[in-house]
Amino acid sequence: MRRPQPVRWVDERLGAGHWARKALKKVFPDHWSFLLGEVALFAFVILVATGVFLTLFYRPDAAPVIYEGPYEPLQGQEVSAAYDSVMRLSFEVRAGLVMRQIHHWAALVFMASIVVHMMRVFFTGAFRKPREINWLVGIGLLLLALAMGFTGYSLPDDLLSGTGLRIAYSVLISVPFLGPYLAFLFFGGEFPTEGIISRLFVMHVMLFPALIIGMITAHIAILVRQKHAQYRGPGRTETNVVGKALWPSQVFKSTGLMLLIAAVLAFMGGLIQINPVWSYGPFDPTTATAPAQPDWYIGWLEGALRLFPPVEFTVLGVTFPSTFLPGIVIPGIAFTIMTLWPFIEARLTGDRAEHHLLDHPTDNPMRMAVGVGGLAFFVLLTLAGGNDVLAVTFDLGVESITNFLRIAIFVVPLLSAGLAYRLARDLSKVG
Amino acid sequence: MGGLVVAIVAVTVSSWVSSDVGAQTPAPGDARDVFVSSCASCHGPDGRGTEDGPSVRGVGAAMVDFQLRTGRMPLADPGVQAHRKPPAFDDEMRAALVDYVVSLEPGGEPVPFVDPVSGDLSAGQEIFVASCAPCHGATGSGGAVGREVLAPSLARAAPIEIAEAVIVGPGEMPVFDLDRHERDSVIAFIDYLQNHPDRGGADIGGVGPVPEGFVAWGLGMGACLAVVLIVGHHRKRRPGERA
Amino acid sequence: MRAERAAAAAFVVSLLASVALVPWYFAGGGPRGEGILLGLALGGLGAGIVIWAVALMDTPEVTEERAVHFEHDTSTVPGTVTVARRTLLVRLLGGAGVTLATAIGIPALSLGPRPGQSLFRTLWTPGARVVDGEGNPIRVSDIVPGQVITAYPENHPGSADSQTLVVKVAPESLALPEGRADWAPEGCVAYSKLCTHAGCPVGLYRAESHELLCPCHQSTFDVLTGAQPTFGPAARALPQLPLAVDDDGYLIAQSDYTEPVGPSFWNMT
Repeated sequence: MRRPQPVRWVDERLGAGHWARKALKKVFPDHWSFLLGEVALFAFVILVATGVFLTLFYRPDAAPVIYEGPYEPLQGQEVSAAYDSVMRLSFEVRAGLVMRQIHHWAALVFMASIVVHMMRVFFTGAFRKPREINWLVGIGLLLLALAMGFTGYSLPDDLLSGTGLRIAYSVLISVPFLGPYLAFLFFGGEFPTEGIISRLFVMHVMLFPALIIGMITAHIAILVRQKHAQYRGPGRTETNVVGKALWPSQVFKSTGLMLLIAAVLAFMGGLIQINPVWSYGPFDPTTATAPAQPDWYIGWLEGALRLFPPVEFTVLGVTFPSTFLPGIVIPGIAFTIMTLWPFIEARLTGDRAEHHLLDHPTDNPMRMAVGVGGLAFFVLLTLAGGNDVLAVTFDLGVESITNFLRIAIFVVPLLSAGLAYRLARDLSKVG
Repeated sequence: MGGLVVAIVAVTVSSWVSSDVGAQTPAPGDARDVFVSSCASCHGPDGRGTEDGPSVRGVGAAMVDFQLRTGRMPLADPGVQAHRKPPAFDDEMRAALVDYVVSLEPGGEPVPFVDPVSGDLSAGQEIFVASCAPCHGATGSGGAVGREVLAPSLARAAPIEIAEAVIVGPGEMPVFDLDRHERDSVIAFIDYLQNHPDRGGADIGGVGPVPEGFVAWGLGMGACLAVVLIVGHHRKRRPGERA
Repeated sequence: MRAERAAAAAFVVSLLASVALVPWYFAGGGPRGEGILLGLALGGLGAGIVIWAVALMDTPEVTEERAVHFEHDTSTVPGTVTVARRTLLVRLLGGAGVTLATAIGIPALSLGPRPGQSLFRTLWTPGARVVDGEGNPIRVSDIVPGQVITAYPENHPGSADSQTLVVKVAPESLALPEGRADWAPEGCVAYSKLCTHAGCPVGLYRAESHELLCPCHQSTFDVLTGAQPTFGPAARALPQLPLAVDDDGYLIAQSDYTEPVGPSFWNMT
C-alpha cells in the first residue's frame, strides 16, 4: 500500500516514519489490571477539557458583587465575583452546569482511579527495581492530584469549601515556629483574605497542571523505556514482554476506553447533582455549614481531625496545638512510609534484584499485610470524616460512632493485616 | 335530674348530627379527660410535672400546639428524643387541649399567625443559612447535633410548625428572636427547599460530599472497572484455533 | 457477523446523539439532556471501537525481548576532568548559584504580612457595645433564655475574628472559672464563636443541655462552665468575653478577650 502524501511529506522532514513504525510495534502486556492507570490518565484528559471550558467563564475574584441571576433565594445578596461567576455557569451558561458537574465527578473518579492503580502496583510488587523512580513519580502525581482537587473545589468560594479553607489555614498555623508565618504567606494575611481565591486559581489552572503534565510524561516515558512489567505465565520470562502490539490493538482499546470513561462521566454529570453551591450559599466567615465534609479524597484528614483525642500541650513555652498531631505529624509519617516503601521493602526482604515479572498479591505475605492494614486505616479514617452523616443516616448518636471508630482505628487495621498475612501465607503455600 | 337527661340527649344528638365521625367539638370536660389519660402519666395530673416529664404550666399555646400538631406528644418513651409522628388528636381536640393546658397557668407565646406569601425569599435564605442550616443542614435534611440528639429533617415541616418551633425552641432547639416578617421569610425559603426540583439531577441525599464520595466509588469507579474488564477481556482461544 | 453489526449500530447511535445535541443546545439545553446525549455520543463511539478491538481484530500475541540489562556506562564523560580540576572556581560557582537561588526566592516573603500581634487581638475594646449582625445594640432585658445570638463589637458587625456568641442562662446555674464572677451580668455569657480546634464558627447550640457544638469536628463546649470542652478534639475552652451592662441597659464588653481566639498556635502563651 503506497504511503499517502501527507505521511510522506512529514517523513521527508522528520524521518518520523521509521521511528513511528518501531513505536507502533511495541508490545504491551494485555491484562485488564494494566488499564487502571489509563483510567486515571483519561479522567485527567476529561478534567482538562471541561476545565478549559470552565476557565473561560470563571472569575477568580473575591471582590463583592450583587447577585442578580435567576436563582431567587440569592437575589440581591452580596456575593464574591467568583461565586457569582459559578452561579452564572450553573444557571445561565448553556452546558455550564453539565460541564461543572462532569468536571467535579471526573475529579472524584480521577482520585479513585489513582488509588486503585496504586493498589495494583503495590500488591503486585511492580515498584521493585528498576521501577522505584516511577513509584516516586507516581506518589508525586498523587500529591499533586490531591492539591488539584482541594484548590479546585475551593474556587467557587461557597460556604462549604470556605469552611475547608479555614480548617486548612488552622492546620497550617499549628506547625510550631513556622505555622503563623506560613499561613500568613500562603493566604496573604489573617483569615479570611480576599487574595486567596486568585492564588488558588493560579495554582489550579497553571502551576499544578504544568507539573502534572510534566510528571505524567515522565511516568509514561519511564514506562516505555523500561518496558511494562507482566504477570507470570506461559512463555513469559524476566527478559521478555509478551502481549499485543501497540497498533492496532492497544491503540483501539485505549481510545475506546477513553471514550467509554468519558461517557460514564457524561452520564453522571448530566443526571446526578454534585456540589450544588447555590444550596450552601456564598462563603461567610461567621457561620459554617453542616454537615461539613471535604471531597472524599481529603476525608482521611477530616477523619483524623475528628477522631484524635483533645491533646494539646506546651513544652518550654512552645504550644503544640490539638490539630498538629492528627493534621501534620500522622499524615506526614503515613505519606513518608508510602513514598519510601520500595526502599523499605527492599531493606526488609533483602531483595535488590531486578524484577519484570509481577507477584501475585499473596506471594509476599508481609507486603500484603502492610497493604491491607494501611488500606483499612485510610478507609476507616475516611469514614470517620463523615461521622455526623453516618449518625443521621443510621439514627445513631455521633458520640457513639466517634468512640467506636476511635477503637476500631487500631483494632481493624491490625486484625485485617494479621488476617491478610495468614491468608497470603496459606494461599501461597498451596499455589 | 332533668338537666342531666337534657345534657345526655344534647351530647348524643350533637354527635349524630356532626358530619365528621370522630371530629366532634369536644365538650369542656373532654380535653381534661384526654389530658389525664394521655399526658398526666409524665406531666402530672395537674401539669406540674413528674420525674418523667417537665411541667407544662405556663409553656404557652405555641409550645403545646407544636408538640401535638407534629405528633411528638404524646410520647411513649420519655427517655428518647421525641420525633415527628402522625398526630394523635384531630384539630378540634388539639385546640381544646391547647386551651386546657394554657388554662392551667396563663403565659408563654400564643399560636402565631403565618403568611409565607408575604415573606422575602432572599431574606429567608440569609436567616436560614445563619440560624437553621448549622443544625438542620443546608438543604434542611437534618443533622447530628451531638449527644444522641438529631435535628430533624424539614421536608415535612408545615409553615405553622416552623413558626412555632422558632418561637418556642422545642427540646434542644434554641429560641430565635425573629419578627413576623422574618419568620414568614424563613418559612417561604423552607417551602422553596421542599418544592423545588434539583437543577443538577438526582439529589443524592442533599448532605454534600459524603454521598457524592460513595456514588463516585460505587457508580463511577464501578462503571469504569466494568469498562476496564470488558476492554481488557481476552477471548479464550478455542482448541485448534490459530493465534 | 454479529459483532460487526453491533459495532456499526454503536457508531450510528453515537452519530445520532451528536446530531441531536445541536437542536437541544439551541433550544435552551439543560444538564440532563446534555449529559444523556453526550454520554450516548461518547459511549457509542467508544463501544464501537472496543467491540472492533476485542471481537473483530485478530491480533496475535507477540513477544518482544527486553534489553537484558540497559547498557550501563557511568564512566566519566570526556572533558569533565578539565572542568573539575578548577576546584576553586567550581566551589565558588556552586556557592554563588545557591545564594542566587535563595535571593531570587526572597520576594516570596511579600506574599503575606508578618503575623505580628494579629492572632493575639480582636476588634473588641473596653466599653464597646455588643451589636447583632445588623449593627443593632443588644439590651440585656431583650435576650430570652434559650436564645443564642451571634454578636460583634459596635462598628464592626460581621467581623470574622471578633465573632462572639451570647447566651442567657439562669445565673445560679453558672459555674464559671475563678475570677469571672462579674463577667456574666444577669446570666448572659459571651464566648468567642471561633472553635479553638480548627477555627470553624461554632454554630450549633443545644439549648436544654447548654452545650455549643462545632459542626466541623463535633467539638462540644459547656456554656455553664466557661465553655470547657466536653467532647471532641478541641482541647481548649472557648475564650470568654467579659460582659457588663451600661447605664442604658445595653450589653458592653469590659475589654478584649483575655486570651487569643481561634485555634492555638505555638507562641500563644
